[in-house]
Amino acid sequence: MSLRLRTSLLTALLLLTQVQIADAHIVSARLGDFYAGALHPLLTLQDVVAWAALGLLAGSLGAASGRWLVAVFPLGLCLGLALAVAAGLAPTPPIVDAATILVIGLLLAAALRIPVALLCMLAFVLGVMRGVANAGELVPQTDRVLYAAGLASAGYVAITLIMALVLAFRRPETEPASSWRGIAVRAIGGWLAAIGLMMAGLSLAT
Amino acid sequence: MTGWRVLQVVLLALAALLHSRSATAHQATLGVLEFREMRPGVFIGRWTTLPKDGANRIELKMPAHCLLRLPELNCGDKGLVGQMTIANLGEDMSAAIIRVTSLNGETRSYTISAANPVVTVLGTDAPTLDTWLELGKTYINFGIDHILLGADHLLFVLGLIWIVQGGWRLLKTITAFTIGHSASLAATAFGWIGVPEGPLNACIALSIVFVGVEIVKQQRGEIGLTARYPWAVAFSFGLVHGIGFASALAGLGLERRILPAALLFFNVGVEIGQILFVLLVLALIWAHRRLGAVLPSWGAELPAYAIGSVSMFWFLGRLVRVLALA
Repeated sequence: MSLRLRTSLLTALLLLTQVQIADAHIVSARLGDFYAGALHPLLTLQDVVAWAALGLLAGSLGAASGRWLVAVFPLGLCLGLALAVAAGLAPTPPIVDAATILVIGLLLAAALRIPVALLCMLAFVLGVMRGVANAGELVPQTDRVLYAAGLASAGYVAITLIMALVLAFRRPETEPASSWRGIAVRAIGGWLAAIGLMMAGLSLAT
Repeated sequence: MTGWRVLQVVLLALAALLHSRSATAHQATLGVLEFREMRPGVFIGRWTTLPKDGANRIELKMPAHCLLRLPELNCGDKGLVGQMTIANLGEDMSAAIIRVTSLNGETRSYTISAANPVVTVLGTDAPTLDTWLELGKTYINFGIDHILLGADHLLFVLGLIWIVQGGWRLLKTITAFTIGHSASLAATAFGWIGVPEGPLNACIALSIVFVGVEIVKQQRGEIGLTARYPWAVAFSFGLVHGIGFASALAGLGLERRILPAALLFFNVGVEIGQILFVLLVLALIWAHRRLGAVLPSWGAELPAYAIGSVSMFWFLGRLVRVLALA
């Protein structure tokens, strides 16, 4: 048997062994950590408000701007989680989270047509911030890959659905921001800004 | 020593390490825990047989409404109804038997092992409405958990949705899948048919590979079997997936008298989970169309290849396990 053939056989054997181990892991974990990652942000006020605000803002800017966030926001979440795990990056203080919600709320209320690049940057930075914050619940037993996949999936599902719902409601391509639907979305922006302001006040008081 | 020999030695050492756990498993023994009902809902329990090393390690969990402070177990008016679990079996104790003796002297025995650490009990008396409600809650939740945590079943359903693409045809296809897996789930749970778990899991993975290939065919303009007869394919593979569902149910050590009800509730749970998943996927398809967020033409086949690759990965892993056990 030639050396190359033996090496190939050995590599194949090793790969098959790895397949068995990896598969056993998937089966035994039963994806429980995937759901832990997916559900954790839905139980945190900062995540729920910030994600909803971002989805509303992107949806109000139209499909051409918003569709980039389908990929950008989950990527930001994954990077944030990875940075927290690998580099020990600490979550942003509550005042920063509150300020972010305030800024997004104001942008939505003012119906400012921000450029796509700025929207993507905002979504990415928010994703990184919330990814880092969501790493706080990781314990040594948690499967990081499954948790990250769950978090990214939740981000993708939430942002995609919220943007599509806003688009279906608002029809930004055909109606001006001054239509009653546009005003309704802008009013939500005002409420979000108010929530951000209250959260900022609360974080400064404590 | 050549590099080849070094590799051989390392592999042998690795194999020895991997098998060391199974070697120690032979030292495990059997534990027996007895509960005797002293007054309605209140039991006195004790280990009548307990291995020397196993006592500290094992973790005994009773139904949520029961308060266990050995030797007393107080389940109140509801009685001893629900799931009992013994966790951490396997190292020092391979299995445990729980014996429950009711006030009228009737004794029931339940076997718990590391592979099947949970057992469901229906009380010592005739089942009441509360008992059925408890059973319903337990098994509907278990059914939802099972489908939502089973990536292979979900991937198969996702493949079907991809091929059939909504409408009445999708409803018929998903219904055919439901009928298929319900029939085989019942047949397996009642012991009418039996398939070894290893080959079955490999077949489930292979069914997803098949769906992945069918998606690629469809995207290339070919009309595959699933595109032509989606309900027939869904029904046939539903039969295979149903046997897989049954193996999860079998792991709970059900009493024969509660099997039909548990089966019904479990299936209801599976359906709820499946419908939730289908609705989520349909909502996302709608959202993507709204946003115009579609894959470029060069990447249109990527999801099909991803489904096929992941399922082939599972298939190979499961096949290797079957061959290793043979």
